[in-house]
Amino acid sequence: MTLACPSVQVLRLIQLMGKQRKRSSLKNTGALLVLLWTEKGSSHQRINCTVATAGSWCFGIAMHTLQADLKKVLLPGAWPCPEPDPEELSAFTDLYGSLKFLLNFQMKNPGLYSSKWQAHVKAFLQTFGLTNAGIRIQLKFKIHGQKSQHDFSAFLISKVALSVRPPLILDVTCSAQPWCDQRGSWCQKGHPVVGERFPLSIPPKAMDQGLFGELSVQIVTLLSPCVLQYPHLPTELSRMQVLVFSPSNIPVSAPSGFFQTLPVALDYQHLGLDRMHCRSSKAFPDDPVHGDGVVFTVGQENWDDPEQEPSHLPVQQSLLLLLFLQHSDPFTSELTDKMDCELLLELHLEDILSNNRQAVTSALQAELFNTMKALKERKKKREKLQSAAEVIISSTISIVSSSSNMDFRSACLKRMKVHDTHGLSASLRESLWRVSSWKRLPKAGCYSAQQVEDQAASNEAIRAEM
Amino acid sequence: MSAFKVQFFSEIDKLRVQLLNNVDIIAENQRAVEETSQDGILTQIEGVILGIMTSLSRDEVPILVLPNRSSWANISFDSAVGLQMSSEHSVTSIRSDCSSSVTKFAQILKILSVIYRLVQSNSYATKRDIYYNNIQLFGSQRTVDSIIDDISCMLKVPRRSLHVLATSKGLISGDLCYLEEDGTRVDCHPTSAVSISSNIGGIRNIVSSAKFIMIVEKDATFQRLLDDDLCTKLSPCILITGKGVPDVNSRLMVRKLWDTLHIPIFALVDADPHGTDDLSECRSSMSFEAHSLTVPSVMWLGLLPSDLQRLRVPEDSLIPLTKTDENKLNSLLKRPYLTSQPDWCKEIELMQQSKVKAELQSLSSIAPDFLSNIYLPNKLRYGGWV
Repeated sequence: MTLACPSVQVLRLIQLMGKQRKRSSLKNTGALLVLLWTEKGSSHQRINCTVATAGSWCFGIAMHTLQADLKKVLLPGAWPCPEPDPEELSAFTDLYGSLKFLLNFQMKNPGLYSSKWQAHVKAFLQTFGLTNAGIRIQLKFKIHGQKSQHDFSAFLISKVALSVRPPLILDVTCSAQPWCDQRGSWCQKGHPVVGERFPLSIPPKAMDQGLFGELSVQIVTLLSPCVLQYPHLPTELSRMQVLVFSPSNIPVSAPSGFFQTLPVALDYQHLGLDRMHCRSSKAFPDDPVHGDGVVFTVGQENWDDPEQEPSHLPVQQSLLLLLFLQHSDPFTSELTDKMDCELLLELHLEDILSNNRQAVTSALQAELFNTMKALKERKKKREKLQSAAEVIISSTISIVSSSSNMDFRSACLKRMKVHDTHGLSASLRESLWRVSSWKRLPKAGCYSAQQVEDQAASNEAIRAEM
Repeated sequence: MSAFKVQFFSEIDKLRVQLLNNVDIIAENQRAVEETSQDGILTQIEGVILGIMTSLSRDEVPILVLPNRSSWANISFDSAVGLQMSSEHSVTSIRSDCSSSVTKFAQILKILSVIYRLVQSNSYATKRDIYYNNIQLFGSQRTVDSIIDDISCMLKVPRRSLHVLATSKGLISGDLCYLEEDGTRVDCHPTSAVSISSNIGGIRNIVSSAKFIMIVEKDATFQRLLDDDLCTKLSPCILITGKGVPDVNSRLMVRKLWDTLHIPIFALVDADPHGTDDLSECRSSMSFEAHSLTVPSVMWLGLLPSDLQRLRVPEDSLIPLTKTDENKLNSLLKRPYLTSQPDWCKEIELMQQSKVKAELQSLSSIAPDFLSNIYLPNKLRYGGWV
């Protein structure tokens, strides 16, 4: 989504107004409707957009003061548009309560009807919902008779305290389930880790355009799926995604130019990674997680072991790196000025990151190191178990093979359901692997699927009360 | 034997008669733990393996259960035997699915497989051999030693039934000859000391006219006594040292000599808490196989704390007790086997009250040859033991 996209601007406005009202995190709940629609017989280059909100996150916004003036200021490329179908709005208010904000405008752009653009909108809102998890998002397309609806809401949320920012409400629902075995009672929740905040210097070019004040960034990481309850299950990191958020918590396009050079800048081998390759998310628009981010495929040492049993393959984990930009300028107080600062920030983001390359790279390296350290410790424990298992197996086989007690030998083969000691070795290995890998240690803070369902029901009750 | 000698050994002979009257030898032999049969050991080990497979077949984690050897709550005291494991004792579980215990689990199985082969082939190996055959797995000799003791407790058999021998560190000298299991004739007559055999169980044809056995705590003292030709001066006798805390073979040897010769056994240790502890090891071993390792009739010959006062050992040879020493003495007095030894308790209490300790070497401050020429002969002649 381009930063000048009207929908983005509207969301930015709502977020900044919320910050201005010092909205507490408890009030970061509600709903957002984005309706993109066309009238019968309308031009192919025009699309109507309705943005509506309900709930406490927009509390205090006076709608009538926005309609005329702000449209001009915020939406210079927007035209007046007809009212949307009242049934669409009433369906929304029936679910989420009375409207707190409503804005209709029309956009003209040749590319607006393409499925690629629609996918971008969807990905943008999904990413928005990731860090604004208290808001339920409804995206509806009604374009030339074709309808589609996408709902984004979080089952499991986590309140994450950042420095100099209101706490984040993060969607930590992890729908990814390890392929390997259905017997696991998997944790559906991610466990965000907050990194240090570090300052960024503003490059001269950005300053010339009016961007001043203090700029910093704080990184939050989220590793999924969670395997904390299975301390011995083999895992490996296979994917990394970087998402950037503006000070108003709006997803920003991660500058690919900067991030594409990251594999060269990072000492990933020191981290225990065999390879790191940046791929453009644009090349993978159907990426199941989030668009507009930068995705890296990574590989660990001893990754592909052709002799490994398929059922023993490690659980593939994905690391999400969320970069939260923070900006303050005591000389900027007006809403429109803040909007401009954010636009400048996004415009010059590549320059800013390049200007602070060492700091950003070191910070990313540190976060990766922490993640890999935990993975390495798992691997070490795993190797200890495997090494001991070999001794256990060889000692057991030695006794069984050399025993002259036929009853004992038969009983051993029968227990392990094999015909001979050769089969016994394989059976012992498989059994030991199974009992140790699938050892489950329940962890406080980890949610199973059943607990997610219960939590969802609880969330529904809370929303109904609101 | 000359009249002098007869007179010299009169107190020792009296002691011997007392000991023989007090101890029911036949009952003792009957009480001796029957050596577990080889097949029994094999069956027990097979039972452990089958238990592991049964757990795995049920998708359960294999766990080895070991009696807890480090808790005083798990032992009881029998005055005839010494310390032994209670029938109801706490246990430690060694899991195979936990990274902190899986290595021990594997080590136990490895040693079980070694023992299985040894017993099956009726061959023997020392603990040292087992360690050196797999240094990477075990990491240290102490690990092997500890696991072998654990297995001994787990299977409830003496360690020598596992065909694992301890590497002897003790020395023996004096009026003693015997045959080792392989037929080697060992003569301990004192030109120099002989290392105690690794396989005490295989020793036979013990021949000795010794009047007594003296267990010497320290190797330095033992060597000094050999240099002073004590074995000739106090002949016939046997001197033995475990070089500090007596190892299993040294204790087995003392026990074997008692069982065969029924002669008094005297301990010569430093007058300090550690010496007293080593002394109590000989008398009442905290061991699963206490029956075969202890000799309840060991007498404390010296250096007694009361000797320090009586002999007026120079003060600069005396060492003040440390806090650790005092704690150790307190701990010793609480040991159940000492409550039946009032004379030993008195000596320990005297050490506590005087707050000093001394080594045997302190006697040389009286005269260089005081230990060999005056102290020991007088002690033995006039019954100066407790």
